[in-house]
Amino acid sequence: MMTQVVRYRWLFVLLLPGLAYFAIFKYAPMYGVTIAFQDYLPFLGFTGSPWVGLKHFENLFSSPDFPRVLGNTLILAGLNAVFVFPAPIVVALLLNEVRLNVLKRAVQSAIYIPHFLSWTIVAALTYLLFALDVGPITQAMNSLFGERFDFLADPDWFRPLVVLQTLWKSTGWGTIIYLAALAGVDPNLYEAARIDGAGRWQQMWHVTLPAIRSTIVIMTILLAGNLLDTGFEQIYLLTNSLNRSVAEVFDTYVYFLGITQGAYSYSTAVGLFKAVVGIVLIYGVNWVARRFGQTGLF
Amino acid sequence: MKPFNKIGALLGAVAITLPLTLASCGKSEEKADPADLGTLTIMLPLIGGSGTAPAPDGEIHKAVEAFTGKKLEITWIPNANYGDRMNVTLASDNLPEVMVSQGKLPAFVQSAEAGAFWDLTNKLDSYPNLKAANKQIERNSSINGKVYGVFRGRDPMRAAVIVREDWLTKLGLKMPETVDDLYNVAKAFTENDPDGNGKKDTYGLIIPKWPAGYGSASPYDVVETWFGAPNGWGERNGKLVPGFDTEEFLAANRYMKKMITEGLVNPDYATFDSGKWEQPFFQGKGGIIVDVSSRGPSLLKLFKEKDAANYDSYVDLTGNLKGPDGKLRAFPTTGYNGFLAISKQSVPTEAELDDVLNVLNKLSSKEGQILLNNGIEGRNFTVQDGFAIGKPQDDPAVKTMTSDVSYFGQLGTATAGYQAYVGLPPGKAERAMYEKRLKFHKADEASAVHNPAQMIISKTQVAKGAQLDLIVSDARIKYFAGQIDEAGLKAEIKRWYDQGGQDIVNEMNEQYAKIKK
Repeated sequence: MMTQVVRYRWLFVLLLPGLAYFAIFKYAPMYGVTIAFQDYLPFLGFTGSPWVGLKHFENLFSSPDFPRVLGNTLILAGLNAVFVFPAPIVVALLLNEVRLNVLKRAVQSAIYIPHFLSWTIVAALTYLLFALDVGPITQAMNSLFGERFDFLADPDWFRPLVVLQTLWKSTGWGTIIYLAALAGVDPNLYEAARIDGAGRWQQMWHVTLPAIRSTIVIMTILLAGNLLDTGFEQIYLLTNSLNRSVAEVFDTYVYFLGITQGAYSYSTAVGLFKAVVGIVLIYGVNWVARRFGQTGLF
Repeated sequence: MKPFNKIGALLGAVAITLPLTLASCGKSEEKADPADLGTLTIMLPLIGGSGTAPAPDGEIHKAVEAFTGKKLEITWIPNANYGDRMNVTLASDNLPEVMVSQGKLPAFVQSAEAGAFWDLTNKLDSYPNLKAANKQIERNSSINGKVYGVFRGRDPMRAAVIVREDWLTKLGLKMPETVDDLYNVAKAFTENDPDGNGKKDTYGLIIPKWPAGYGSASPYDVVETWFGAPNGWGERNGKLVPGFDTEEFLAANRYMKKMITEGLVNPDYATFDSGKWEQPFFQGKGGIIVDVSSRGPSLLKLFKEKDAANYDSYVDLTGNLKGPDGKLRAFPTTGYNGFLAISKQSVPTEAELDDVLNVLNKLSSKEGQILLNNGIEGRNFTVQDGFAIGKPQDDPAVKTMTSDVSYFGQLGTATAGYQAYVGLPPGKAERAMYEKRLKFHKADEASAVHNPAQMIISKTQVAKGAQLDLIVSDARIKYFAGQIDEAGLKAEIKRWYDQGGQDIVNEMNEQYAKIKK
């Protein structure tokens, strides 16, 4: 062991900056979560603020806001998992079947673009397109269904809008990793399948999908960790008085309490709770994946 | 490159970055000499103007430094982020010596009560320009009677009803005087085709999405006051009650709901961007705005750009409206716009505090106010019958000064009254409107409904108030939209009480009893 360390000493030295990065920027700030167990007052500092144990967690779990915020977060997370997660896979498979390379490239580039727009711009576009009575989409829908749609204020439309926004913004970008995996599939497999008489669908089902299965599993595990990150800006920009009951999620709740109301300790407790759920989910999905004989993340 | 060199370079890089990162994690850097306040650090909001913060070597900045005899280090924060930034700054341990607090943010109250800022109660009277001309405003700006900052005085009256005058003329209507008039005008604007295009494509009142909760000077809050509901808090049977727990509140909202259901208000009132408030008025979609009176000149300017010949025929405005019982109840401002608080950590001794207050006192003198609000006479403005006239801005230096001076006003307090020049209204119509505004502000002042609880801060209010007040303001909008009925609105008000509102009411009354004594 020691001899190995000496032998590869320069590799260890090379490792140092990376370790330092994590120690300084990722682990050291975690000291800050201690304020979740204090009645933190900026003026008194980390060391001077009184310790209160689990008070803020008790407040959170007994708060009437908690079931609503948790519910909204889980529903949005569920919608993301069901609609947003598979979208890049489907698009990547479709692109993979495109024969004309020029067309494939063009479509790829076109659907990447939304990824580079900020949520503020996406929200502004949404407001333009879906504005009551005057937005083009609203007008089209109104004349199509003969109803008066109020997309922006109607709480029933909040979640579909969020999912649509996310799909529009992230699908193209998400295809990159799958297209990369697809590019790595051995063409001989397709050839063999064709010789055995497999059609397009059968090739996709029996060759393509199994080839990218491990990628999908890894992406699923990563998704689980971020499941409760419903995104702050996107939600915040779409919220108003009429849809707040379905729009309030952990990210906006923490912002609202911590930044606008100065409840630093309480909002840290909420954030910590969210992080713990994320860790549990990562381990859970990883465990399930391994049970099904797939390579997990760890 | 030899391996040794590579590693040397790497170690060098680590050696350089490490102390930097450690230093920035550490406690606040020592000031060169904490006892010497030769340099004054200040945090101010950047409001309006061109959006470019004044440069520290700008002419105005230099003039203010020369005037006060201090070097100034000003951090300008865009106004939209000021509240967030303020919270973050309070959470750091490097507070500027003087900072604007735009009202009693929870984080500010907590910090002040923990001793982060100087208690200035009874201290300010020995500085002639910081001595409050109106003691009620100083009390309003205090936290349970304790003054933690020099308030920045503002007009005590600003509410106004702004109406499309050409529409009134076309339909043969008069400016509204009562809430019933307002309803009738709004109805006529909606149904009688005021723009004469033969289509029913107009509405009366324009209301935007309001970002803050209950009691934040939204058009709804103003109308409630006209109906006789308390302004925020009010005394009923000797006890303080929240304004929304009154019959008048419900009556006012029934009235608003009627207007909204009948289509007399823009249908997207729950989502319409308040930054575009003037657009529908200007474009002839809606005809009435209930806002501050300074919205009037701003609209006038828009019309002047479009139709310079007849621009005076489009906008008329009036003050507060009489309630359904014919009585006038005016919606006042708090009389101040935040205050300048002085950090105890950065200004540790009484002597230094005196030094800082002397600077603020000097800046609030007539001379100081003119410098901060108008600039340098003869350089970027001249005076004509008591009004300031800006110099032509073809000279880039004058242009910069004019922009800078639009920001520096934030540093002035006008605690003892505003003494700088008002800009000369550019035309006859503007002058007439200016005089009209002054007139109805003055007239409304006598009927102002003040919030008796303005100075009282309850602990629960600080911890949960913003969240709770959203319950009420959301319920109000849901009631208008028909998501809930009046019983539902009352249920939401009850929910306010159940989720902590009752504690607020108790704490407020406890404090109120103490202060009244």
